[in-house]
Amino acid sequence: MKNPSVVIDVANLVKRYADITAVDGISFQVKEGEAFGMLGPNGAGKTTTVEIIEGLRKADSGNITVLDMDVAKVPAKVKQKIGIQLQAPSLLSLVTVQEILVLFGSFYQRSLPVEDLLEMLALKESRKVLVKNLSGGQQQRLSVAMALINEPDIAFLDEPTTGLDPQARRSLWSVIENMRNQGKTVFLTTHYMEEAEKLCDRVAVVDHGKIIAIGSPRELINEYFHESAIQFELEPTPPEVILKSFPGAKEVVISGNEVIMYSENIPVTMSAILKHAEKTDITDQLKNLHVREATLEDVFLKLTGRKIRE
Amino acid sequence: MKAFYRLLVADFKQFVRDRTALFFTFAFPLLFMLIFGFVFSGVDDVSYNIGLANQDNSAASQGITMALQEIPIFEINPGELEAGLEELRNGDLDAVVTIPSGVEASIGRGETVDISVYYDPSKTTSVQIILPVLQQVIDAVNIQMTGQPVIFGLTQESIQTHELSYIDNLVPGILAMSILFLGLFGSLTLVEWREKKVLKRFGATPLPRHMMVSSQVVYRLILALMQTLIIIAIAFFVFDVQMVGNWFLLLLLVLLGALTFISIGYFAVSRAKTVEGAMPIIQIIQFPMLFLSGIFFPLEIMPDFMRPIVSIIPLTYLGDAFRQVMVDATPSYPLMLDIGVLAAWFVICMMLAIRLFRWE
Repeated sequence: MKNPSVVIDVANLVKRYADITAVDGISFQVKEGEAFGMLGPNGAGKTTTVEIIEGLRKADSGNITVLDMDVAKVPAKVKQKIGIQLQAPSLLSLVTVQEILVLFGSFYQRSLPVEDLLEMLALKESRKVLVKNLSGGQQQRLSVAMALINEPDIAFLDEPTTGLDPQARRSLWSVIENMRNQGKTVFLTTHYMEEAEKLCDRVAVVDHGKIIAIGSPRELINEYFHESAIQFELEPTPPEVILKSFPGAKEVVISGNEVIMYSENIPVTMSAILKHAEKTDITDQLKNLHVREATLEDVFLKLTGRKIRE
Repeated sequence: MKAFYRLLVADFKQFVRDRTALFFTFAFPLLFMLIFGFVFSGVDDVSYNIGLANQDNSAASQGITMALQEIPIFEINPGELEAGLEELRNGDLDAVVTIPSGVEASIGRGETVDISVYYDPSKTTSVQIILPVLQQVIDAVNIQMTGQPVIFGLTQESIQTHELSYIDNLVPGILAMSILFLGLFGSLTLVEWREKKVLKRFGATPLPRHMMVSSQVVYRLILALMQTLIIIAIAFFVFDVQMVGNWFLLLLLVLLGALTFISIGYFAVSRAKTVEGAMPIIQIIQFPMLFLSGIFFPLEIMPDFMRPIVSIIPLTYLGDAFRQVMVDATPSYPLMLDIGVLAAWFVICMMLAIRLFRWE
């Protein structure tokens, strides 16, 4: 083993569909015990990348090594050691929670006791419920349970909380946090900034099939922002040139009525905004004015000029 | 093998929880058999109402009347000609026979006597039976009265060891139909799994594809055997139809037939994207097979231009083989040919299905 701590090694991965290049030369490594996140908007190439790593799709070019095995050559061997959660639940509908776990457990050389999984994912109460009668959150927890059934060395979770209500999302977050605390390697894709910030040790921000930034959430924010953000809504929005001329203003992003100004000197910039509003007699149009720390969302905005969920 | 067993268990659990599947697998063939069985159970002991207007009250006309009354399928209703014709028109009678007055006198003079039959030509089947029978009666009476010696007699002997009724032929047909449905419609499961990404989910585990598909096939073969047993039991207890052939041969035919239609089904839906898209394909295959295979209508009545179709569809051979083995019916083809054609369909469609089936 050349480097025992690297469990996923992706080098120059490319995947094309007809005239679209879904994945455009992606390279990165994931270390053992790490919670690694791929963050990006829908269609950025996250799912394609993760499914190639899992051995579900073939790459057009590039080398992928998972647990020191070549995925393209020995996909079945890799699948014994990894756990996969697909974006869609994709479950049989007329079997119970317990039955489907027993069934999927039988596909692996080693599998966790069904009891443990039910406990871990708070599915004990619904063990005898048919899959089709489960709520969205329960289905999602079940599909995470199925991804953990073989005690995988790496668990791949593809947008595990998409479409869930806030409560169900939080309960799934605590499951993932537990896995992380137990030192498991988790590979997560998401288009929720706060999810990536909260759950991941390291994040790769992807857009149009390319990694545009990689690092821990803190590193990324510190690398791109020494400033904090002032955010407000104003109609009509002042021209960008005027806003940029305000003292302390480093950068300005306007989308619709919403303005985000990144400032090195919050009090100075703030008072300039208020003065401008008074002078032009639009104080009652100024809404939702607040100051906040920069987030991954801001990093994405700065790198692409777009919001992640547009 | 643990995975194979678990898949099979899951298949059966899903099956017993799926009311639609239960209905079409077990109740539908039985309903079909009960309906067809009872509707056609009268076919073998039909009788025809014949009006008889005897206008000549003589010994000769009495003789003809008695001869007619001896025909078991005729119900003779004596009456006036006018009343008889009226009843013929509104369908109460199937034919009216008139013996004109002066028959005896004419016979005495050696003249030909015309006995008239009135019938409704729109009732094709009854006319086709009634007229030849009447002709025979008249011939017999002729011979008797003219005193000519009988030179040739015709004794009818069936080559079947027992009499076959409509229901005897129906039971093998129902079994063939059930296996056709089971195989063709069973293929929709994989399409549904592909559509709902269940196949993709299986593909994300180390489970080999061939194991997943073979568990599906074995599950359907077991269903086919259960159907066979139920159909044979109902045939025996309700319709008194006995399975006279070799049980082992029947078992082989059921398995071969099921494999054939399962592989035809998989081949047919190999490229269909959705269940909605696959359904019409299955139906287009299934309908001509049902009606042109001779499982419900005898092959002999198929028009000549249909022959090539009839002799290529596999259900023709499965139906023929079942009739031979179950009720010892007269073969349309040698049994080995039936088996050979089915096996050829099975192998070809299976190879095409393996080559063409789209997994996602």
